[in-house]
Amino acid sequence: MLIVGGGPAGLAAAYRLATRHRGPGGDPPVVAVLEKSREAGAHMLSGAVLDPSALTDLMPDWRSRGAPVEVPVTEDRIYFLTERRRIPFPVTPPPLRNHGNYVISLNRLVRWLAGQVEAAGVDIFAGFAGAELLYEGDRVVGVRTGDRGIDREGNRKATFEPGVDIRAQVTVLADGVRGNLTKSLVERFRLDGGRLPQVYAVGIKELWDVPAGRLPAGAVIHTLGYPLPHEQFGGGFLYALPDGALSVGFVAGLDYRDPGFDPHSAFQRFKRHPLVAGLLAGGEMVRYGAKALPEGGWHAIPRCHVDGALIVGDAAGFLNSMRLKGIHLAMQSGIAAADAALDALEAWDTSAERLARYAALVESGPIRRELHPVRNVHQAFAGGLLPGLLYSGLSLVTGGWWIRDPMPAHPGHQRMQHVRGERSAAPDAVPVDRRLTFDKLTNVHYSGTRHDEDQPSHLLVQDTDVCRTRCREEYGNPCTRFCPAAVYEMVDARGGGKRLQINASNCVHCKTCDIMDPYQIIDWVPPEGGGGPRYEGM
Amino acid sequence: MKIAVCIKQVVTRDWPLRIDESAGWVRDGDASFEMNEPDAYALEEGLRLKERHGGEVVVCSAGPARVAQVIREALARGADRAIHVVSEDLPTADAGVVAEALAAALRDESFDLVLTGLQSDDQGFGETGVILADRLGLPHATIIMEIAADGDGEGRIRVKRELEGGWFQWLSMPTPALLTIQSGINQLRYATLRGIMAAKRKEVRTVPFASPPPSAWNIVALRVPVKDKQTRFVDGPPEAAAAELVRLLRDEARAL
Repeated sequence: MLIVGGGPAGLAAAYRLATRHRGPGGDPPVVAVLEKSREAGAHMLSGAVLDPSALTDLMPDWRSRGAPVEVPVTEDRIYFLTERRRIPFPVTPPPLRNHGNYVISLNRLVRWLAGQVEAAGVDIFAGFAGAELLYEGDRVVGVRTGDRGIDREGNRKATFEPGVDIRAQVTVLADGVRGNLTKSLVERFRLDGGRLPQVYAVGIKELWDVPAGRLPAGAVIHTLGYPLPHEQFGGGFLYALPDGALSVGFVAGLDYRDPGFDPHSAFQRFKRHPLVAGLLAGGEMVRYGAKALPEGGWHAIPRCHVDGALIVGDAAGFLNSMRLKGIHLAMQSGIAAADAALDALEAWDTSAERLARYAALVESGPIRRELHPVRNVHQAFAGGLLPGLLYSGLSLVTGGWWIRDPMPAHPGHQRMQHVRGERSAAPDAVPVDRRLTFDKLTNVHYSGTRHDEDQPSHLLVQDTDVCRTRCREEYGNPCTRFCPAAVYEMVDARGGGKRLQINASNCVHCKTCDIMDPYQIIDWVPPEGGGGPRYEGM
Repeated sequence: MKIAVCIKQVVTRDWPLRIDESAGWVRDGDASFEMNEPDAYALEEGLRLKERHGGEVVVCSAGPARVAQVIREALARGADRAIHVVSEDLPTADAGVVAEALAAALRDESFDLVLTGLQSDDQGFGETGVILADRLGLPHATIIMEIAADGDGEGRIRVKRELEGGWFQWLSMPTPALLTIQSGINQLRYATLRGIMAAKRKEVRTVPFASPPPSAWNIVALRVPVKDKQTRFVDGPPEAAAAELVRLLRDEARAL
């Protein structure tokens, strides 16, 4: 059994496989996990408020095993923000009531879970990216890891270490939101046929140390409104941890129309709102990160089983955008995939027909129970904040019914409008004071991101001519704005004009460019294993 | 050839550091750690010597439980076994204490070569290897750029030391010996999948640090350098302004 991706979904699958069942000979199946980050958990970024139900299903004694899940949510607040004011919601909508949930660091949870998984006998290979799927005919038979030791020009360095073919009876793809292997598998078998297109958001987060007494540990604040206009999807969050640690973040839908929009800039603006600035004043930013989220929900989940492979977690889109939670659903999908895979192994039949049991488990289990009633919620927000909120309220009563079900949706990048020579409606850049607000490069430094500089770019742009010609005119090079890590820059070209410069070593692996590029010519492939951000404590 | 390589776990380079409540060390609760860079080169050199001359490479690290991370990495890259001297206080200890911890673990085995990094990325004294040589009663040489067999005699090696200003020095010295290795002496290999699998079955002997000697010094305070930038405009006619600028650079900024 091979699991690609050591996040909550992949590790839940690994733990389930190693502990629950015995293989045909009475031995547990041999399970290996590939993880592209240098250490388990280093690429984990989430808010995060954890619904512990899936962790309890996976490991009922997680408390006594010392899981870093220690801060129960003590209060929920929701505000609608205007530029200077905040208007509290009179009641907390049921999906955002977090009683029984915990404020956590996902990095710490995953680091701990990785330890449990290894103790159960699973090999976790950190620092190895899955570069491509191996096929026999139309059957997935494993994964090829990326070559290491290739220089900028593509030549082998003295330390060259070729990628390794790892063959498995079942390969579980847990490669996260917009995972490169899942993307290729979905394209090859058109697994999204008849489904709604996946729609995404990007979350940008900073971890702060603030003076004592600002927010009690366990306080959870969500905001809507400012700095986004009504028609744009997104909002802010503040989650309080003990000892003055505060997670502050902003989520912006990757289906915005204005190519001048810059999510990082919106996040800075959010921090300057009196509500947030007051909580952060005198504090210190200690960590930064960004990550895309799949927001499309039930109708956007592709078929997740093929001959020899299953898709789990964010890679498949198991996220409840109404509750703003995905960790527990990722783990539930990992558990279901593990059970289906074990059933298939025991029957010596890992065909798609047999592995379809995974879909049945998803249908009959907690995932559908949670996602189906909110299946149209994110799509409703495409019409703007008010229709979205109205429909969200309605869906609580109707169980998600709508006249057109599924409510239609479009890929986010198609909604971007041409500049048409007008000035973008996006406000001017936020002044950077390096205390409350930061420029992208300073932020990237705080993400701990490091890549070997002497390697080929892992951001493949099929045709950079488009950048300096069509895109410049039509959209004004939105990549220079939507990337929260200043990877894309238009610089002066020799002989006049502009050319695209890709600062690949800044990349925090959020996948926004792969998702939001209006021409869909940017392909994110994994860089040399071990590279990327280091989100310790995030 | 029986080779010991001493490795230290340090906070990752470029990690945004914050000073802890005691103002005597950095907050390392949620820090990212890695193998001290010169130690990684020392390990690579040990592995290459073993590949050329046969023998065994034993890694030794002294520190809290978390240093198991770098021990595992060293075993995955090809070290044969490891010794972990367990002690919570070593990250902030002085070089004499750390050297004593390593010596306690290495003394009973007779190594032909003991390799350490030139210095650590955190405290950077460049002393641990030298004091360790003293504690083990071995000759030593520092800032090593190359190690070769010496044609003159059995049990001797030739080493190349880096001096200032682009100069190098070749020494012939007896073994057993201790060498402190300079970064960049070789090219680091990657840990392979096979190596990571094999590492799980390799021996890691943990030994307590029974009798730590008293520290020769304590860290009194740690401070982040204050970056201060001031801009001043010098007004007036060009000649007077230039003269005033020279005076400011010479008398106030002391840059001339």
